[in-house]
Amino acid sequence: MMKILKSRELLVLFLLVAMILAVATQNKAVLYPFTLINIVNSSLFLMLIAVGQMFVVQTRGIDVSVGAIAGLSAVIFGFALNAGMPLPLAMICALITGALAGAVNAVGVVFIGIPPIIMTLGTLGAYRGFMRVLTGGSWIESIPQNIKSFAVTRYMSIPLMVWAVAVLVIVVAVLLWRIRAARNFYAVGDNADGAYLLGINVKATRFAAFTLSGLFAGAAAIVFVGQIGFVPMQTGNGQELKAIAAVVLGGVSLMGGTGSIWSAVIGSLFLTAVDSMMIFLHVPGSWNNAVAGAVLLGIVVFDYLIRRTVHNRQLAARAAEMRRAEADQDRSTNTTETREMAS
Amino acid sequence: MKASVFKSWEFMLAAVLVVELIVLGLINPAFLNIENLLFSTSDFVHVIIAAVGLTLVIMTGGMDISGVSIMGLASIVLGLSFVAGVPIGACAVLALAVGVGAGAFNGTVIAKTDVNPLVITLAMLFFYAGVASGLPTLLDMMGFAVAGAGGFEAYQYEGISGLPKSFTWIGTGALGWVPVPLIITVVIAAGATYLMHRTRFGRFLKLIGVSADVARFTGVPVTRTLVTVYALNGFAAAVAGLVLTAYFTSARSDLGAEALLNIITAVVLGGSSIYGGQGSVLGTFLAGLVLGFLRQGLLALGISSDVVPVIVGALLIGSVALKIGMGVLGTRRANRLAYETERAAVANG
Repeated sequence: MMKILKSRELLVLFLLVAMILAVATQNKAVLYPFTLINIVNSSLFLMLIAVGQMFVVQTRGIDVSVGAIAGLSAVIFGFALNAGMPLPLAMICALITGALAGAVNAVGVVFIGIPPIIMTLGTLGAYRGFMRVLTGGSWIESIPQNIKSFAVTRYMSIPLMVWAVAVLVIVVAVLLWRIRAARNFYAVGDNADGAYLLGINVKATRFAAFTLSGLFAGAAAIVFVGQIGFVPMQTGNGQELKAIAAVVLGGVSLMGGTGSIWSAVIGSLFLTAVDSMMIFLHVPGSWNNAVAGAVLLGIVVFDYLIRRTVHNRQLAARAAEMRRAEADQDRSTNTTETREMAS
Repeated sequence: MKASVFKSWEFMLAAVLVVELIVLGLINPAFLNIENLLFSTSDFVHVIIAAVGLTLVIMTGGMDISGVSIMGLASIVLGLSFVAGVPIGACAVLALAVGVGAGAFNGTVIAKTDVNPLVITLAMLFFYAGVASGLPTLLDMMGFAVAGAGGFEAYQYEGISGLPKSFTWIGTGALGWVPVPLIITVVIAAGATYLMHRTRFGRFLKLIGVSADVARFTGVPVTRTLVTVYALNGFAAAVAGLVLTAYFTSARSDLGAEALLNIITAVVLGGSSIYGGQGSVLGTFLAGLVLGFLRQGLLALGISSDVVPVIVGALLIGSVALKIGMGVLGTRRANRLAYETERAAVANG
């Protein structure tokens, strides 16, 4: 039990399953495979930007521009497709847009030294404005509809898009696990000065984190456009805060150095599932945000209480040990004294 | 001392404000009409009011991004209680109380745990926004009867209009040439300035911002101070929500939701450090005016409103980069000065 409580990813996964089962007692339809697949399918966009966000938060930064980057990438993706580019080339355009936008954040944060929240808040406005300037404020429609084939075609009744993102997540997870440099994200987030003294290139690591965040936002844009087949101006609006909520929910501390890719995956699944559960419980959709906020607050406070309990217990154990050692010492001095008196 | 007044960030902001008004006036003389200028502030003073509250919070090294949701919550509470037949004065008091309560709740959780204030207020941003949008349906479910076929739920999308003149006056009225929203903003900014620079409470805020641990060991009531400052921020956000409601003459749950970028930009452009311990209400107030008039001016010049966030974002980043650059140059100059003095001393002695 304690082990589950200590691993935030497992704790949240456990809560997610518990929530779905609890709702299932009210409405069995939740457990239909179709429903579950749908929840996963609609979490893909959030999941991808949350995975990108994870790199930044792990290095003790924050990126509130990811939603705007996704919007900008979606616009470029739409333009590229409408210009007649083949799908793979258009995808690369979207990814490059995302990575470049992320790199701009990185330049401000790493080389000029602007606090991450200020830098990315500024670019949030800038990218979103730029997106509207590019399109003149109108939606991009008339995109070749074959891009939707990824979202519509199903393999084993699961959309290809879900398979693609699942493969991507697993590949990234394996890479993070096997590549030594991936540890640098933890080291830099936990203690940047210490990491520097160990010979880790702190600047390069933070630069990579912001660029990856942009890159994943670009990937999210491809998923989004693939799923709905056009680019509305609201693409990615408000998703930056959801992405931060997702990674924090999954156990990435804003103080850096913790969490994993599974934090982002499970956190975004949870937040998406909350929305779906409301529907099955016939709670009006207007309450979604309230429930998501309450869950996030509940989890971080619960996590704090556990950490405090563990910490206090460790302190108590150490105090008891010290008291015992002191008592031992007293006893030994006492015996020497009696011996001296006796002689 | 005199020289430092002119070098201060606030003075620079005031200079920027004057230059901005002159430039915009030269391009479009109609812009400089005093009455016009004063009344155009009503479009953006809600940002300044909320930013003044946030300045106090940021002074402690904290953060509260849930203010934008508290604005909407206060607005819908006022509207719903008005529809339910409560006298408008009591509605406003209720809405302000909800704002103070919401802020105090943030402060309590932040003071009692070590969780990053950004995380907590992010959760509360969602929570208060959700409560604000869900409140009408909740009242319906609880069986409150109300005139109108759709019940309270109908108000969720349309907003609640028909608010009495005595209330909308605070958003649209004027005393002489000065619009009421601007007066409210100045009063709140003056109050916050007094709190920050003339009271023990203000000293506590700064001390907590420099180091919460040192403050605690010095005997500063850290928990109480934090709860109070977040409650004050909630109050400011609620006032901003009510002013905006009165200005639009309609109570909506999503009021002010898009103001977050502008609010934080005003605070940071105003010279506050998000690491705490440094900040100025006057700076925030001036920065809010600079930003607000810039927006008005650009729109008056016929520049698309799409470009405005690009410029606001660039200003935010640019102002911080400028401060960092000035800091680097200042350190370099101080080092060179120290080096030269030292060398002169060695040469002489």
